[in-house]
Amino acid sequence: MEEVYVEEFMSPGCVGCPAVKEMLEELSGEFGDKLIVEEVDITVETARAAQYGILSVPAVAVNGILKFMGVPGKEELKKAILEELER
Amino acid sequence: MNTKKEKRIGIFICHCGKNIAGGLNIEALVEKSKHIQGVVYVVDNKFGCSEDGQVAIQEAIQDQKLNRVIVAACDPSLHLMTFQRCGEKSGIEPQFVDLIDIRKWTMHGSPYKVAPEQALEKSNKLIELAVKRMSLKRLIPLVEVKAEQSVLVIGGGVAGLEAGLDLADKDYKVYIVERLPTIGGNMALIYKVFPTNDCAPCILAPKTAYANIHPHINLLTNSEVKSVEGYIGNFNVEVVQTPRYIETGKCTGCGECVDKCPCRVVDNVYSAGMGERKAIYIPYDQAIPKKAVIDAQNCLYFRKGVCRLCEKECPTDAIDFEQQLKTIDIKVGAIIVATGFDEYNPSSKSEYGYGRYGNVITQFQLARLLDIDGPTAGKLLRPTDRREPISVVMIQCVGSRDKKTNDYCSSICCMYALKHAQMIREMILPDAEIYICYIDMRTTGKDFEEYYRRTRELGIHFIRGRPSEIMEKPNTKNLLLKVEDPDIGHLLEIEADLVVLSCATIPSEGAEQLSQILGIKRDEGGFFKEMHPKLRPVETNVRGIYICGAAQGPKDIPDSIVQAKAAASFADGELRKAKIKLPEFIVKTSQLNQGG
Repeated sequence: MEEVYVEEFMSPGCVGCPAVKEMLEELSGEFGDKLIVEEVDITVETARAAQYGILSVPAVAVNGILKFMGVPGKEELKKAILEELER
Repeated sequence: MNTKKEKRIGIFICHCGKNIAGGLNIEALVEKSKHIQGVVYVVDNKFGCSEDGQVAIQEAIQDQKLNRVIVAACDPSLHLMTFQRCGEKSGIEPQFVDLIDIRKWTMHGSPYKVAPEQALEKSNKLIELAVKRMSLKRLIPLVEVKAEQSVLVIGGGVAGLEAGLDLADKDYKVYIVERLPTIGGNMALIYKVFPTNDCAPCILAPKTAYANIHPHINLLTNSEVKSVEGYIGNFNVEVVQTPRYIETGKCTGCGECVDKCPCRVVDNVYSAGMGERKAIYIPYDQAIPKKAVIDAQNCLYFRKGVCRLCEKECPTDAIDFEQQLKTIDIKVGAIIVATGFDEYNPSSKSEYGYGRYGNVITQFQLARLLDIDGPTAGKLLRPTDRREPISVVMIQCVGSRDKKTNDYCSSICCMYALKHAQMIREMILPDAEIYICYIDMRTTGKDFEEYYRRTRELGIHFIRGRPSEIMEKPNTKNLLLKVEDPDIGHLLEIEADLVVLSCATIPSEGAEQLSQILGIKRDEGGFFKEMHPKLRPVETNVRGIYICGAAQGPKDIPDSIVQAKAAASFADGELRKAKIKLPEFIVKTSQLNQGG
């Protein structure tokens, strides 16, 4: 894949979500245009969150595959993105 | 795999009649969409969800060899499945059909409505994002997992019992978790029900009694859900049971322990603060299970290490002061939330003096006073001097339809005020003057309007206005009210012996915590939020977790029953094949969360 699309599932008031957001901002700096990040508020996009079966936020899906529920380590997150780029 | 194939994305932009087309330039949106990289086909349609609209999508999939479809129309919770089925008929995996909501920016009445130019810009951005997402999205492998043939029902009120019994009769193992020591919920305590004036415990008893003996139901009273993990078909639930300090297998409910207990306390639960109970007590005569329970916070033995009279008196040696908090692990395929409602505490409405004036009570408290099995054995006695009131004033919409407290209408208060007015007039104090001060009387259910008319015919005074303040006469503890009635154009001054506040229905205590445990959303009023307010009223954002009764929003008993049956039906529909196909990541991620 030349690009990776990351859906960052969050909700207002979520304690761990800002940490994931920050990590993804940092990774966007590293990956540039190859990384597309969409912040998905599960209180608004309930149907999308339900499709993924998300029980809690933060959660992260990479190219349509839910990879993390809870706050991932930055290296884990980076690895998941790299794996998609190398596919 | 499809991922290696050329991505051919088609975009279908719906007018939704004028709902979308009236709020943005569809032609311009079509043109913009045509220039998005990866898009091979764009078309608009007056109604994408109509038969014609769906045929047009299917034909375009065939003719244009599309393998990704994006429909720009309405809320996905409403129609995503419609379009996924439509795509599936033409050979596209449901996961490769997406529905994005552009109607929220255009439709009259939508809180997100913006000007047409902004709607166009926002819609275009959303389509661009969806195209990118769909072009990179991979097909998610599905795995088949075993679905547990068991269901957890949280809440043992009428809705929870109905749902539980429906499922137990279909041979599912049902766990009903109830926070209090007895099942039956609020319905068991309201004495009569409108509009039939049936005895509430009498019509509830067949359900509570059946639940108590049903071979497929496990009642876990005095219990709360502490944690939930997993996914539909395989939820792991941790329930914590507070000790009763009674061996329920031995207790016969004879009440000898209660008679001997020296410690009296105000009963804030089963008597709504209008009466007393002992530190060891049986909630009420028809309680199920009819077993004693020790309130450790007030028991002399737990407080001071003395007494143990109950233990000495119990003829079956059922008292067990050594019982500890118990954790029960259960595995269920689905969860039904039926946690009911609480009555709004009107203390913060200082103008009505609740908590400050002894003779201002709530309708729930009045129900307990009117109940022949209640704290006054059905005598209506006002709290300050235990005298029968000569004049009773009811005030509607306390804490409801009020920007400062709860914006919503609590839906049942008009009817229960009418019910109590009828009961006082016909059964208890025929000569009492009864006033109902209201904003509007809302009597929209079956036979409700007739009930309202009958109450008027009984000579109850209806005043279309609410008092701005209540004052108490220090010597008599009577209550002085001034209320403007626009219907007669007079300011009325009333001296009341008793004032009854028709308080809002609010989410039950612990709803917020439970929403966090289950991962389900709540609405602005704090009630559990349904997937769609019109069309998916018992599903939640988590597949396999359903809501019913007043936990979802204020409602009366028949509506709660209907929802309970719907929730049970959904759970049955998902679990009945004993196997469920789920995206692999849901199963894997949940196993990781469980340390698997």
